[in-house]
Amino acid sequence: MMSPIIQTAADEGTPGGLAQILPAPRWVDGHPTLHQITDDVVRAMEARPGKGWWICFAISLAALGNLGVMVAYLFAKGIGIWGLNSSVGWAFDITNFVFWVGIGHAGTLISAILLLFRQQWRNSINRSAEAMTIFAVMCAGLFPLLHMGRPWDAFFIFPYPNQRGPLWVNFRSPLVWDVVAISTYLTISLVFWYLGMIPDLATLRDRAACGIKKVVFRVLSLGWNGSHRTWSRYETVSIILAGLATPLVVSVHTIVSMDFATSLVPGWHATIFPPYFVAGAIYSGFGMVMTLLILTRQTMHLERYITMRHLDAMARVLLLTGSIVSYAYATEFFSAWFGGNLYERYHFINRATGPYAWGFYIMVLCNAITPQVFWFRKARANVAALFVASVAVNIGMWFERFIIIVVSLHRGFLPSSWAMFYPTVFDVGILVGAFGLFFTCFLLFIRVLPMVAIWEVKGTVGHGAHRMALSDDEAAPEVAHG
Amino acid sequence: MSCKSSKDEFIQIGEAPASWKSLAELRSGLRPTAEFPGGLPGEGQARPANTRRDFLSLMGFSLAAAGLAGCRAPVQYAVPTVAGTDQLIPGVANFYATTCGGCPSSCSLLVKQRDGRPIKIEGNAQSTLFGGGTCATGQATVLSLYDGERLRGPLWKGKPATWQEIDQRVGESLRAAQGSGRAIVLLSGTITSPSTREMIAEWRKRYPNFRHVVYDAVSYDAMRAANLEGFGRAVIPHYAFDGARVIVGMEADFLGTWLSPVEFARQYAQSRRPERGFALHVQFESGLSVTGSNADVRVPVAPSELGAVAVALLRRIAAKAGVAGVPEGPEPAVEARKLDDVAEQLWRHRGASLVVSGVQDQSMQLVVNALNAFLGNIGTTVDLALPSLQRAGDGQAMAALVDQMHRGEIHTLLLHGVNPGYDYVDSARFLAGMEKVALAVSFSDRRDETSSRAGAICPDHHFLEAWGDAEPVESHFSLAQPVIAPLFDTRAMQDSLLNWSGSDTGYYTWLREYWRKNLFPRQKEAPDFDAFWDRSLEAGVVTLAPAGPPGTPPFHGAWAAAAGAIVEARRQALAARRDDRYEVKLYESVALRDGRHANNPWLQELPDPITKVTWGNFAAVSPQLARKLGLTEGDVVSLRAAQAQLQLPVAIQPGQEGRTISVALGYGRKLVGKAGQDVGVNAYPLMATRDVTLQKTGRRDELASTQTHFSMEGRPIALETTLEELHQPEEAPEAAATLWAARPEGEHSWGMAIDMNACTGCSACVIACQAENNVPVVGKDQVRRTRIMHWMRIDHYYSGAEENPASVHQPMMCVHCGNAPCETVCPVLATTTSSEGLNQQVYNRCIGTRYCANNCPYKVRRFNFYNYTQNPDFDFNMESPLGRMVLNPDVVVRSRGVMEKCSLCVQRIQWAKNSALQGKRELADGDIRTACQQACPSEAIVFGDLKNPASRASQLHRNRRFYRVLEELGTRPNVGHLKKVRNPLETA
Repeated sequence: MMSPIIQTAADEGTPGGLAQILPAPRWVDGHPTLHQITDDVVRAMEARPGKGWWICFAISLAALGNLGVMVAYLFAKGIGIWGLNSSVGWAFDITNFVFWVGIGHAGTLISAILLLFRQQWRNSINRSAEAMTIFAVMCAGLFPLLHMGRPWDAFFIFPYPNQRGPLWVNFRSPLVWDVVAISTYLTISLVFWYLGMIPDLATLRDRAACGIKKVVFRVLSLGWNGSHRTWSRYETVSIILAGLATPLVVSVHTIVSMDFATSLVPGWHATIFPPYFVAGAIYSGFGMVMTLLILTRQTMHLERYITMRHLDAMARVLLLTGSIVSYAYATEFFSAWFGGNLYERYHFINRATGPYAWGFYIMVLCNAITPQVFWFRKARANVAALFVASVAVNIGMWFERFIIIVVSLHRGFLPSSWAMFYPTVFDVGILVGAFGLFFTCFLLFIRVLPMVAIWEVKGTVGHGAHRMALSDDEAAPEVAHG
Repeated sequence: MSCKSSKDEFIQIGEAPASWKSLAELRSGLRPTAEFPGGLPGEGQARPANTRRDFLSLMGFSLAAAGLAGCRAPVQYAVPTVAGTDQLIPGVANFYATTCGGCPSSCSLLVKQRDGRPIKIEGNAQSTLFGGGTCATGQATVLSLYDGERLRGPLWKGKPATWQEIDQRVGESLRAAQGSGRAIVLLSGTITSPSTREMIAEWRKRYPNFRHVVYDAVSYDAMRAANLEGFGRAVIPHYAFDGARVIVGMEADFLGTWLSPVEFARQYAQSRRPERGFALHVQFESGLSVTGSNADVRVPVAPSELGAVAVALLRRIAAKAGVAGVPEGPEPAVEARKLDDVAEQLWRHRGASLVVSGVQDQSMQLVVNALNAFLGNIGTTVDLALPSLQRAGDGQAMAALVDQMHRGEIHTLLLHGVNPGYDYVDSARFLAGMEKVALAVSFSDRRDETSSRAGAICPDHHFLEAWGDAEPVESHFSLAQPVIAPLFDTRAMQDSLLNWSGSDTGYYTWLREYWRKNLFPRQKEAPDFDAFWDRSLEAGVVTLAPAGPPGTPPFHGAWAAAAGAIVEARRQALAARRDDRYEVKLYESVALRDGRHANNPWLQELPDPITKVTWGNFAAVSPQLARKLGLTEGDVVSLRAAQAQLQLPVAIQPGQEGRTISVALGYGRKLVGKAGQDVGVNAYPLMATRDVTLQKTGRRDELASTQTHFSMEGRPIALETTLEELHQPEEAPEAAATLWAARPEGEHSWGMAIDMNACTGCSACVIACQAENNVPVVGKDQVRRTRIMHWMRIDHYYSGAEENPASVHQPMMCVHCGNAPCETVCPVLATTTSSEGLNQQVYNRCIGTRYCANNCPYKVRRFNFYNYTQNPDFDFNMESPLGRMVLNPDVVVRSRGVMEKCSLCVQRIQWAKNSALQGKRELADGDIRTACQQACPSEAIVFGDLKNPASRASQLHRNRRFYRVLEELGTRPNVGHLKKVRNPLETA
């Protein structure tokens, strides 16, 4: 599927013939020339940003600033500023953590698993999805630190060699597994993302006239020359990395789910958690990818590359994973009833009828009912509907984690210790702040890096196969026109 | 902080008593100033050169402190050993016997003194009355010693003065009073000290116009009057609940606050051991009290109906006894069959039954006397020969005094241990009367509602700084000795009285002389007085043969007339009853009692044993009434009577009588100190009222409760059994399978058994734990956010109909699981299980993920959400250097962001092990008593080595009633509970 792309001046303005010979490219609308593709993608980076971008950026930056202030206050005062209490030891903090980790999963799934399965439709969306993964994991990684009572001692959680006797971390604790899983995940995602960008960085290097931009892209593109040998090695590395990243799609959220599943808290202690969490993660991730792509394709005029067919494919994934998640919800209730455990049974009655039942019904509405509209082609073809549904999925998945964490904790085994969690302004502020961090990063990303994988999209339009036959110049760089 | 001010303020060295062996060195040798942070660590005194011995012992201490305490031992406030004595060894605690001054019950105590500071109150096990138990209030009095609101010295007209100045002015006033024809009056609370009483009698000789008026905020004078009428003695009987097989209480919270709760709780537990005999307890009361929550049969009765219940019982008992003359009258609104059963049980156990009532009504008390007399209880469970001297207040004398004050008949008024400006029913009138007194002298330790209006305040010592004695029950004496030199420039009230009566002896000499003259001749064991004195001082308690001839005159009260009066009063009450009128019942709260301890943050934060509300009082209404009026918990209502109205939040109280609203006394102090100021509402103005109206105000004031759900939801948590069940053959329990590998075992396996049948819910253990383990006070807002830090809590569950549910109190702390769920989830191994079965929390290592607390099924872990110590936001006791003096140096003060929980008093275990090692002996069962165990008056908590099959804890672990809470989770706790036993009336 990946082939060297050679573009010559002859391409310009040779439409008809080729189109008749080759089948219409499935994942790009129309027949853009290769140069056109580069231009279209790079336009966002080279033009001055529009008013919309500035507004979004200002809001995100404000939210990020708010995060900074609130975190400073949090570190100064202690986590008492949150609404936590002796019974509900985790609430927004870990909800946000699981939410952001989950979001990340779509990126890895798209870049790794879909690559292995040779799904060409991933080519237009994988770059943003991977970026989203990185930023989401960054947000996620923030919360384990923030939620600690003594964040200045956070390094205790790493199994580093020390001179305190045989003092080691507790490898039986899922939180240690988390540390390993999340750090691995961030590393692999970063490497994979960067590696995937190298050919495009070379393109940018070649387009940049002079100055800092040129230097930066030259350094970042690692001397990419586009030779067949480079391409060949590059593809091998991509496949290997995809192979490495693939288990992470399953393992990371499995481990996150074990934070709950290995405990004995009614509502947490369930064997269904690992698959349920993985499906939920992919579900929420695709929800977020969909939200972001709809926004960027509209504002950055990339409708040609992120087509309705892409959205349709993603909507199908949402439908599938949403249904898996709904099935898991039902299974939880069934096993609570069927298992006959007093505490478990009470927990699920409380989940549906207790003081946080409103959250439960938001979750059901958003996660179980909303995706069902995607059974209809009309819904999948309606950008507005897709957008609303994707946002709903994100809201629903946040509430899912909130329900799992808070509702399970607030009424535990001994009724004497039942308590309520009421969020404070700092709980909400840090949640909003994390979105600020995420969107600030994402908005900067679409301004400074190609948000669509140029070289991969070029591979999907079909010129390559045609041109290969025509050209004998293997290593001709696209410099001239790039 | 005054501790930082000039050093002269603190130096008060009275006459150094030569014969006071134990602390003589302390007084003369160790300058009290050296104990103060910010003061000067022994300036001007040459420190002896460090010897190798010193070095080694210091190193050993530091290592032990570091190892035990971890990161932050409050080293900066340890006492520098300026001059060593053989009594004061750094790091080694001394125990001194004394007498509690927390209330007139005068319990005997052992005070733990560490490095010159009293830091913990314990009960004196040698006391024949109180055993080793204490109450929550008594436990907390040690904190009041370090109350920053205490006056630093005497005040004259609100300005600091010297004692000479005060003595001169008061002397002038007393001389002027003698010539004026106006009276000198000492208005005091009940004084149980016989030597002080004699001193007051001496004053009467010295000043012919002197009178002594005794005033108790919560008065028992109806009972004294009834006994005067019935038996010819104006006293309160000494009750023997342990001798009773049937106990009937009528609005008497004898396990919570009434008369002598520590003693009664101890007796009550003894009479209700399922393995030995089990007394039946029936309680008639309006609001649910601690006592009612323990009763086998509890009958909610409105205060206006209670007399009718007593008369109905009297009618039945009299019929059985063949006595005629009980007036006819309608039966009370109580199931007749129930009354028949109660009467039947009482009669069956006549001579071994007991009827008590706390109702402040002479007729009622006469009827109760008649009941006890007909049942033959006088002389068995009701002892009038050696009566209780714990309450001697006289309401009529007090009322007369207020009138006299208004008429200008009082010249000099001395106020000791009273605060009528707050707790008198018409406090404004009292204070107005005080304006007409030439000189009012208060002995109060602070500016309060009354003393702030007095001309002079001559602050009395805290009882831990003072000499004294007490005779709570006739011929049962208890000595009090100072365990710290006075912190401030205060003077004992007795010293002031002696000084002002022209005597040049000090109180200590007076006390000794009194004992020499009055007590020494009554004993035979000690040959000379010094030996007797030393022995008494060491033991703290002396029980002597009765002074007078024994025997009680037969009951001759006009009980029939009293019953007739009750019947008539009830008829009138019924006729006057209106639907929108409710009865109000005021009660002493378990923590604050009559309000004198309002500035004690430990007590303010002690959950009410029934409602679990902290920091304030509330109007307890029944669920039926709440539904009828549309009230929800926290709605502020206005209770209005002719004289007063109060606005306070509603608490919905299951078991509350439908038409009665209960309100706790002791709150709403206007001038007491930071902690207690304006917490709750003062209910004393309603003292003279019975009927009130109730309106919703529309405002809300959320209660700060530590427990909001009181149903067990059908879960097997606090288990119960019946006597019948206990007598059936036992089924062998199934051994639970485990997947865990066996742990390496140590020499001991520490465990505990908590008998829910003995536990009354009195909460002494909660404060004992707080004092022992440096548990911070977090304040009302944090309690509302469910962040109370208590390591020990008492869960309270209801079962049955909400109109009158059964209660169970379940003390709950870390149960030290064998397979601890907290342990596996901690990422940094900050919580581990020791080879001796203790689940240990390593504060240094904790990073505060709270995963352990989430995974703890018992929810006993407490997290430091903020820095609760040395933090101006939490200005309770740990913010000030003075308040921090109460901290136990053996226990780490935890910092922000770490988890903490019960350690089973590991410092006590370690201490006992070390002393056994040093004494070259085996650790014996009972050597280690945890703080909660030590405080418990009913001995519901037993700690011990489970590896020793003979230990009491082991034996209890094999008891039929023993079980482990949530055992089915496989946690294998080392702390288990013994099921509560119910003794239903029908089967009793």
